Amino acid sequence: MSLSGELLPAGLLVILPAACLLDRYLPRACLAFIAFALLMALAWWRLGAPWLALAEAVLGALLTGMALFHGLGSLGSRSRLPSRDHETRPRHQAIARWLAALAWLALAAGAIWGLLGAGELSVPSEVMRRPLLIAGLAIMVMGLWAFAHHHHLLRRLLAFNVLGSGVFLLLIGLAGQLVEVQGLILVGLVVALVGSVLGAVLLRRLHALDGRVTLDGGAGDDR
Amino acid sequence: MSAPPEASLPLEAAVLWLALLAPPLLGLVAWRFPPRRMLLVLLAGASLPLATLWLLHRVASGGLLEGTWSPGGLVLHWRLDGLAGLLLLLTQLLLLASAAHAVGHRRATALDERAFAGFWPLLGGLATALGLIWVAADLLTLYAALELMGLTAVGMMLLPGTGDALVAGMRYLLYALVGSLAWLLGVALLLGATGRLDLAGLEATTEPGAVTGIAMALLAAGLLLKAAIFPLHGWLVPVHASAFTPVSALHGALVVKASFFILIQLWQRLVPEAVAAAWLLGGLGTLAILWGGLQAWRASELKQVVAWSTVGQLGYLMLAFPLLAGTSAAVATLAWQATWLQLAGHALAKAAMFMAAGNLVLSVGQSRLADLAGTSRQLPLSLMTFGLASVTLMGLPPSAGFTAKWLLLQAAILAGQWPWVIVLVAGTLLTAAYVFRVFRCAFVEDAPRHDFRPLPAGMDLIALLLALASLALGLGAEWPLALLREGGLP
Amino acid sequence: MSGALILLATLGTSLLAAVMIFLLPERAFRARTGLNLGAALIKLGLVAWMVWGLSHGREYAVEFPVLEGLPFVLRADALGIMFAGLSSLLWLLTTVYAIGYLEDSPNRKRFFGFFSLCVASTLGISLAGNLFTLLVFYELLTLSTYPLVVHRGTSKALAAGKVYLRYTLVAGLGLMVGMVTLHVLAGDIRFGEREILAELGSGRQPLLVGLFWVLIAGFGVKAALVPLHGWLPRAMVAPAPVSALLHAVAVVKAGAFGIVRLVYDVYGIELSDSLGLLNGLVAVASVTILYGSLRALAQQELKPRLAYSTVSQVSYIVLGIGLFGPLGTIAALSHLLHQGLMKVTLFFCAGNYAEELGIHRIDELDGAGRRMPLTSMAFTVGALGMIGLPPVVGFLSKWYLGTGAIQAGMPWVIAVLVASSLLNAAYFLPILGRLWFRPGPDHGVGEWPEERRLGRLETHAWLLVPAVVTALFSLMAGMLAGMPFSPLEWATRVASAEYLP
Repeated sequence: MSLSGELLPAGLLVILPAACLLDRYLPRACLAFIAFALLMALAWWRLGAPWLALAEAVLGALLTGMALFHGLGSLGSRSRLPSRDHETRPRHQAIARWLAALAWLALAAGAIWGLLGAGELSVPSEVMRRPLLIAGLAIMVMGLWAFAHHHHLLRRLLAFNVLGSGVFLLLIGLAGQLVEVQGLILVGLVVALVGSVLGAVLLRRLHALDGRVTLDGGAGDDR
Repeated sequence: MSAPPEASLPLEAAVLWLALLAPPLLGLVAWRFPPRRMLLVLLAGASLPLATLWLLHRVASGGLLEGTWSPGGLVLHWRLDGLAGLLLLLTQLLLLASAAHAVGHRRATALDERAFAGFWPLLGGLATALGLIWVAADLLTLYAALELMGLTAVGMMLLPGTGDALVAGMRYLLYALVGSLAWLLGVALLLGATGRLDLAGLEATTEPGAVTGIAMALLAAGLLLKAAIFPLHGWLVPVHASAFTPVSALHGALVVKASFFILIQLWQRLVPEAVAAAWLLGGLGTLAILWGGLQAWRASELKQVVAWSTVGQLGYLMLAFPLLAGTSAAVATLAWQATWLQLAGHALAKAAMFMAAGNLVLSVGQSRLADLAGTSRQLPLSLMTFGLASVTLMGLPPSAGFTAKWLLLQAAILAGQWPWVIVLVAGTLLTAAYVFRVFRCAFVEDAPRHDFRPLPAGMDLIALLLALASLALGLGAEWPLALLREGGLP
Repeated sequence: MSGALILLATLGTSLLAAVMIFLLPERAFRARTGLNLGAALIKLGLVAWMVWGLSHGREYAVEFPVLEGLPFVLRADALGIMFAGLSSLLWLLTTVYAIGYLEDSPNRKRFFGFFSLCVASTLGISLAGNLFTLLVFYELLTLSTYPLVVHRGTSKALAAGKVYLRYTLVAGLGLMVGMVTLHVLAGDIRFGEREILAELGSGRQPLLVGLFWVLIAGFGVKAALVPLHGWLPRAMVAPAPVSALLHAVAVVKAGAFGIVRLVYDVYGIELSDSLGLLNGLVAVASVTILYGSLRALAQQELKPRLAYSTVSQVSYIVLGIGLFGPLGTIAALSHLLHQGLMKVTLFFCAGNYAEELGIHRIDELDGAGRRMPLTSMAFTVGALGMIGLPPVVGFLSKWYLGTGAIQAGMPWVIAVLVASSLLNAAYFLPILGRLWFRPGPDHGVGEWPEERRLGRLETHAWLLVPAVVTALFSLMAGMLAGMPFSPLEWATRVASAEYLP
């Protein structure tokens, strides 16, 4: 495992979700997400979890990708969603969301710091831990930011998926390759897939019903 | 989920897993052949509560049942104590009632049979998810069950297909998904710190500290979001107001409580001594009681009144945390019993109330409170059911709500935690205010007459039975509470 | 029949009647009437049986645990059965009256359903064996009277219902908090276990005093003690049988009965005396008596005048409780019955004037004695009793209160009694004067506000008979006070057997 051999995927692991979340052109953002999911699959494989890699490729990349494109209306349907997101979020809603996201981040970072610093981790340390944790945290930051900031429902679904991947990376970084970790991630992948499918179907029906792509007048804060 | 159990108690385990896994099968059958008669549904499902009763009998005589099963190298744990058994029984009864009510609801609204068929497998899935939550004893099973519950619940919310329902369902979906990620992060921290997922092991190995605290905070955040505890309740009201009546009934009665159940189980195991945090939760409960009551009082539509009342009533459950944390054994015993009695009473009453409200709205054809004028003459049974259910919500005797409030007051006074006494009093008055507001509207005599649509008699009857059950539980509380006490306290 | 069974049957009769009335369709008039009267008669019979059994030393009790250390107890003791007998007897008469009163009016099913439920709760209150059971039925009484108060569905009735709920629900909560605190302090206290609180020790006494006043306030709302009486005059918008129920049979009586239980059976009269609670009670009662009478004097309409008269008269019971000694106790207990008999007569009569002649104001009553002689005679008996003239029972109450006051060493109470009696006379005698001595429409002067000619008699027979019967009872209870099972004799028996030091 050379340094460059790890740095490149790790860098990509951060760049791809950023691209996915920042892009206002939605088909490209979805493509970026599929690429990111495939990269995640590669990561699982490199971490010695081939079954998880397969699950990520099929569930995370293929099926979720299909669901997202279905949500966009690109897969054989009559009414397409606009490909570009023009929505901006009203400022007053943002504050509570930002606070919630910051609290989440502070908690997560604090706990990881505590675990690493105190050497309290139950599984012995491994080479991959630090890059995994850093990548996971970075991805989580992006996912949280996007979830709090974006207004377009498809972009929020993307944000949720990215956030989920970040949590998975943290999970494996903290707890190693225990069989329990793989079980949790597998369940998480299935949930993310079902959630994405449901969300995409809903988005399509909402759009077909009254042409909207956002939740208008969403109240309260959002974790 | 369906790998065969491997347990030391073969018969009991088999019965339990059969009771847990039968509902989805029944749901699939009903999906293929939608039932048209309420009685059929009741008969088909009647064996489930009977099985649970038998299991409860075994628990009462032989103590806790527990076991493990291991799919693919994982070791997953389950346990059935008095509490879990009682909750399972409650779940099955409420699911049966909702299923029967749903048959009548479909008939009364003249919905297309196929359009409604999706309800049945989702209901089955929800039954399994709830059952699993009550008996699961490790975080992985809990995670899977929690997610199954959330997703089936979202699916059920979407059934009406109206714009309101879709928006509300979408918001619920997003909140639920993010909530589950917070939960997963918390699990990751715990797993990292201890390397275990089973509750018993976690209880034994976690030490109080910053990491445990943060993990619990994340878990709690996810669960509070799913349980719609103030201030994370924003998604609940639109969802309840727009869903089909039996779905709102189930959701308000059971689904939000399942998250609370997990929260209190974890709390008692991981951070039982966190007094400040427990008071924080109690404070949130207080705000929920006040805010929910106030909003219910101001709401202009009947189903919104009921939905906001759920927000308020969930607050009472949160008062358990400060009364359990760092208090004497006597106080903890009282609070523990009060919490579960309140939960069960509210579940029965809220389901009855939703059904009665749904029946009223369906029959009047209008959903505003002002349109209820004259219902006391035209729809006395529905209104009576609503009234009986609200007796429990107000905590007036004889009802489970009253007995639970008595216990809570007793615990609060015994512990010297006077703030909760004031909260309970204020909450009761607020509840009475919004409940009697409904009645004032219904008792108005000089109002234009509507055409009242007749409903199948069974719909009112089921709601009435649930409401009566919530009353009977008030005076007959000793049997379940004795089972609870035997099952051991936190 | 075993003791427990007969007790449950007594309670179950009206509960079952309520359920069956709710199940009957609205138009099933005959079935409902039969059910109402049948249930009332059966219940009266069962209570009479228990009265007989009690005087022969039988025990009637049933209990089961609701929570650990908190049982639900029903027990017929002499005091409870006294109240139960009163409410069963008056329920029968009020039911008859209500059937006549509500003829052809809408929502009768709802009315009679809750009416039965209301009386079931009153019976539960009288038979309750501990504070918890009492509270259960006490709150049930609140809930079941609300639909009766708002029965007419007018905005005025709904507003009165709102006020009624505000007062009673807050009071119920206060009671509950007080009872739970007492439970935490001393565990479950059956009625009659007076030693529990007496032996608590002096460190707890301030708390006990505080709790006493919390509980008195809780009961005092229903007993309409000033300043907690505000709901009672407003609730006058309800139909006349409901007023009878509120004022004589159930609600204010439940409050007064609660105070009786609290003082005699929970705290015990000696502990109450040694804690100095009785002086407070006497003061509150005196203020209420005078204030109620003064306000009654100011009313120009018949029913509000009677309502304020209730405020004043019910406090005679509280006054009697406060007078430490056997005579005060006898006065309190017997007035519980006497006031019910007399006040229900007055309300029946007021309802009759309103139904037959459309009379609501006092100045419309001129010459009504000639048009409705029997009703007016009954009214006269009730009014004279309220003033305290022999041979009506009201005289006995005041006599015992006066002698009780001397026995308790509070002679100034007699001044209160005299003042109150003068005020009673001042607001009742003019009415009697108008009834009998002023010329009215039947003498060819003016006309009735709204005459209806409801029956061959002076009014509908179902309205007339109950009024006359209760008036006769008020007279007989006064004249035959020395006979066994008369209210006074039973009150003396209760007082001497259970409560006297």
